[in-house]
Amino acid sequence: MTAKNYAENYKGADLLAVAAAREVQDGDIVFAGTGLPMLAIALAQITNAPNAVCIYEAGSIDGRPKDLPASVGDARCATQSSVAAGLTEAFYGQLHSGYVDLAFLGGAEIDKYGNVNTTVVGDYAAPKKRFTGSGGNPDINSFARRTVFIMVQEKRRFKENVDYITSPGWRIPEWPSGELKSKKEVYGKFFNGGLSAVITNMAVFRFDEDGIMYLDTVHPGFTPEQVKENCEFDLNISRCRGVTERPTVEEIELLYKVVDKDGIFLP
Amino acid sequence: MGKINKITLKEAAGLIKDGDMLSFSGFTIWRRPMALIYELVRQGKKDLHLFEVNGGTHTEILAGAGCVKIWESCWVGHELYGKLGESVARGQVEGSILVEDYSHAQCVARLLAGAYGLPFFPTALSMGTDILNPKFDMLGKAGLRDGSNPKIPLKKYDTIPDPMYDMGNILLMPAANPDWALVYAQQVGDEGTVRVLAQTYVDLEVIKAAKKVIVIAEEIVPDSYLRDEPALNIAPGYAIDYVIEQPFGAHPTGSQFFYDVDADFIRAFYQASKSADGYKKFADEWIFGVDGFDEYLEKLGVNRLLKLKANSVMGYSTTMKRGTR
Repeated sequence: MTAKNYAENYKGADLLAVAAAREVQDGDIVFAGTGLPMLAIALAQITNAPNAVCIYEAGSIDGRPKDLPASVGDARCATQSSVAAGLTEAFYGQLHSGYVDLAFLGGAEIDKYGNVNTTVVGDYAAPKKRFTGSGGNPDINSFARRTVFIMVQEKRRFKENVDYITSPGWRIPEWPSGELKSKKEVYGKFFNGGLSAVITNMAVFRFDEDGIMYLDTVHPGFTPEQVKENCEFDLNISRCRGVTERPTVEEIELLYKVVDKDGIFLP
Repeated sequence: MGKINKITLKEAAGLIKDGDMLSFSGFTIWRRPMALIYELVRQGKKDLHLFEVNGGTHTEILAGAGCVKIWESCWVGHELYGKLGESVARGQVEGSILVEDYSHAQCVARLLAGAYGLPFFPTALSMGTDILNPKFDMLGKAGLRDGSNPKIPLKKYDTIPDPMYDMGNILLMPAANPDWALVYAQQVGDEGTVRVLAQTYVDLEVIKAAKKVIVIAEEIVPDSYLRDEPALNIAPGYAIDYVIEQPFGAHPTGSQFFYDVDADFIRAFYQASKSADGYKKFADEWIFGVDGFDEYLEKLGVNRLLKLKANSVMGYSTTMKRGTR
């Protein structure tokens, strides 16, 4: 095997996209959200996972876009898809029926159990600020076998408790009582899996046997302590395996010259 | 032989009463019935109850103008061209809009129940989230679940143990049956058969769930043309109550195989929508400053519209500049 030619110059977003692409296993059926998740699946399909397929929630099933879509409802998603249907097919025909291996999603805030908030800041009944809302994030996350979140690392975003649980992590309330239980208990026989990684501009995180987030690898140029300082909760850094593998020259070229050749998400 | 009931945008908006419940075709910034949305604002509609599987630029146009009382959905924004739904957010924070959040697929479940004549539809998606927190049943807290409004279900949702295969708990989502579906479709036949090109989103479900359906057609074509390939159509003519023929009727949202999303227009609207004042300036120029959609198109100008023109093979513009390269 030839030694990999690692890139010297790259941006934070490039590493995010590359690290996320490496989470895709060949043959995975991937359900992706808008933005960096689109870059990650498109890059994976031309590198480590040529047989992975992509579903977007607006209804394009296994599309082969010639031009990068700017959103999941974009006309470009449907190019050469095996089926161009709608949300019923994406959410029920594909997701609820159990086809989806990997979810690629984003979020505004996360807690140590991987609960994600994309809905409000403050008390929902009298919020200080509203974000976009859930979209399909909790649906896709709740039924995929593995979920990867791509996020920005900031102390105020990595919280002890999120203000509102938009998308379910490993420890969640069972309604109507609100009793906190493991995801497995809440989902019963519908349980397929859950959060497997969170990738930020500083590090890659995974979840332990109790469903608590720990530091897996730290990106080049950062220390585990710096990552810990950028979490409000007490991050476990004892299991850190070392430094995240850097992007290769080839991966960066593919990102800028093939995947996002028009500079839509990577200016 | 069926026939269509062709009306004008002004007549269509005139049919919609204050307080009516509406739903829409499309997905975020694609295939929204924009020409009719502008006319609803121009006619000063009030207290509208929107149920939609996701919001977009059209939602924000209505919300910023003060037309919306209740918004039941899961997401609002302008995708890459505006990250938040500023007017809905302002309405929620100030308390002028009652927001009821569901997940995307839970909204779809509500629409499926409505479309297929069922009181509810089961789903196990998005359990264990605050969407289901009884404290956050906002229509319930507002006292609106007492049965007096037939469009508002007695419960936001229910949970039952699966009685059939003992799968565990499952959610029941109440049917949504709006008064009106406002739909934009690329092609409507002269007998009312409806075709959309590319992804179907929830257009067929919205048409079935609503009591009355108004379709803006990019073009009206011979029904025989659509009937040559019936598998591509989403609704028969008898399901459609009114048709408006309006080229560019989805602008600034996109219409596959006709025109792309007008990103610059949406970006500018998003910036304006960040304040009530900004919204007003936008509306004064683009909604109240023109006497109708024809004048709006005139104001946009032919060059701008030509730049959005879709490549007839690819279905989207292959010439406009989309990013930084």
